[in-house]
Amino acid sequence: MKPLAGGTELLLLIRDRRIPTPKYLLDLNAIRKELSYVKLEEDKVRIGAATTLYELSQSILHKDKRYAGFVDVFYGFATMAMRFYATIGGNILSATQYNDYLTLLTVYEPELVLVSKQGERRLTLEQLVLDKRKLAIRPDELLKEIIISVPPENTSSSFMKFDRRRILIAGVVTGAVLLTLNDNVIEDVKISFDMIREKRVPGRARKTEEFLQGKELSEEVVEEAAEEILPSEMERMSDWWTTGEYRLDMSKVVLKRNIFRAARRIRGEK
Amino acid sequence: MVETIRVNLKVNGKQYVLDIPPDERLIDTLRYRLGFTSIKEGCGRGECGSCIVLVNGLPRHSCLTLTATLDGAEILTVEGLAPEGKLHAIQVAFLETRGVQCGFCTPAFMLLTKALLDKTLDPSDEEIKQWLASAICRCGSYHYYFKAVRKAAEYLKKGKILFDEKEVRKNLYKLPLLR
Ligand SMILES: Cc1cc2nc3c(=O)[nH]c(=O)nc-3n(C[C@H](O)[C@H](O)[C@H](O)COP(=O)(O)OP(=O)(O)OC[C@H]3O[C@@H](n4cnc5c(N)ncnc54)[C@H](O)[C@@H]3O)c2cc1C
Ligand code: FES
Ligand code: FES
Repeated sequence: MKPLAGGTELLLLIRDRRIPTPKYLLDLNAIRKELSYVKLEEDKVRIGAATTLYELSQSILHKDKRYAGFVDVFYGFATMAMRFYATIGGNILSATQYNDYLTLLTVYEPELVLVSKQGERRLTLEQLVLDKRKLAIRPDELLKEIIISVPPENTSSSFMKFDRRRILIAGVVTGAVLLTLNDNVIEDVKISFDMIREKRVPGRARKTEEFLQGKELSEEVVEEAAEEILPSEMERMSDWWTTGEYRLDMSKVVLKRNIFRAARRIRGEK
Repeated sequence: MVETIRVNLKVNGKQYVLDIPPDERLIDTLRYRLGFTSIKEGCGRGECGSCIVLVNGLPRHSCLTLTATLDGAEILTVEGLAPEGKLHAIQVAFLETRGVQCGFCTPAFMLLTKALLDKTLDPSDEEIKQWLASAICRCGSYHYYFKAVRKAAEYLKKGKILFDEKEVRKNLYKLPLLR
């Protein structure tokens, strides 16, 4: 049995025989209304698992600079037509390095609410997404909600995806940054990429984060983070699409551009 | 597996009650069960957009949709844009900008235009590009289609929705070529 949300991942996996054909599909349409919302409650943003990407684009997430990375992901996601029915929950649970909302959410450290007849439990992304298409969700559970903490005022994010075309791409390198500045000091920074090493799902560049934490933001500091620190914790794969060397190079570029774009957004610059 | 699932569908204004195998795709229901052949299958995997129809007013790939999940939905294909003998402003605009080459992709582009113009009659250039980029045109008619969206919006703004097909066709040959 498999829950069916937008079906843009699941139906293709079945079509291409990448998974055994499920005996039953559980159509989530019947409860889609209850599971699609973006609610701002005090210091939390609660996102229903069946919220479509288009619905996300109509919410606070596309209006407040603290969530600017959501706008970046949206406009690079598949095509407009697909954004009307692909869901954010389906994106997380597709659990591959190509799931852009997963890469972005990684820096927001969300709580994920799973429900079953036994009740609710809450997991972090790292507890839920173990590896490519390997999840800690049980067959009798549904993803109900994604909860992120409202970041401090002087915060913004940025997401970037690189490939040979602008749209309809899986992204040979994707990355996200969530940055909090105090004047020009990096008060907090979270960095994610589609892959760091080994696990074929998005992960955090923690050493690079630690290096940047508390430092004055400057060209030199970011250069050192990208050129010296990031490569020490990152191992990129070569495959049919491109080489590991190219991926590492582009990762450095993504990191630098993301940090400076997030910083410009915090300052209200273009 | 359940043999069939009962689905109520409104297609182009007409109500249907269908008993559908649960694994039947919307594109197959529309083409082979109901005969709406304007919908084309290009890739069958959400990439080319040739199979786009409007479900409750929004674009949707009929190759990636199971009909059994659509109970109660309203579907629009280009066959439903205008009654017999009439043409919808969008069809007129597409004819007049002479964008249609082989025509394989045209129904999808018209429906994308319909959904966009239902939201706003003043889309930005960027919005038009975002929406039209949902489908691929093998003949490269994009720049004509872009103009067609603007032209259709002008007609709709003036309240001109339905045109007499014979009149349109007669005048078509007198129009200068758009560049
Ligand atoms: C042409 C094309 C382009 C694409 N481009 C992109 C892109 O640019 N970026 C990107 O990130 N992805 C892309 N994708 C992948 C896919 O569209 C996304 O991952 C999408 O968000 C999946 O959402 P869905 O609702 O369609 O998921 P579904 O296919 O319905 O579900 C995916 C998985 O999650 C499970 N599931 C879904 N919802 C729940 C729930 N509430 N509880 C429990 N289990 C659940 C399903 O059982 C299934 O295993 C693309 C896909 C296609 C076909
Ligand atoms: S046939 Fe559906 S997108 Fe190509
Ligand atoms: S007109 Fe031939 S594919 Fe578009």
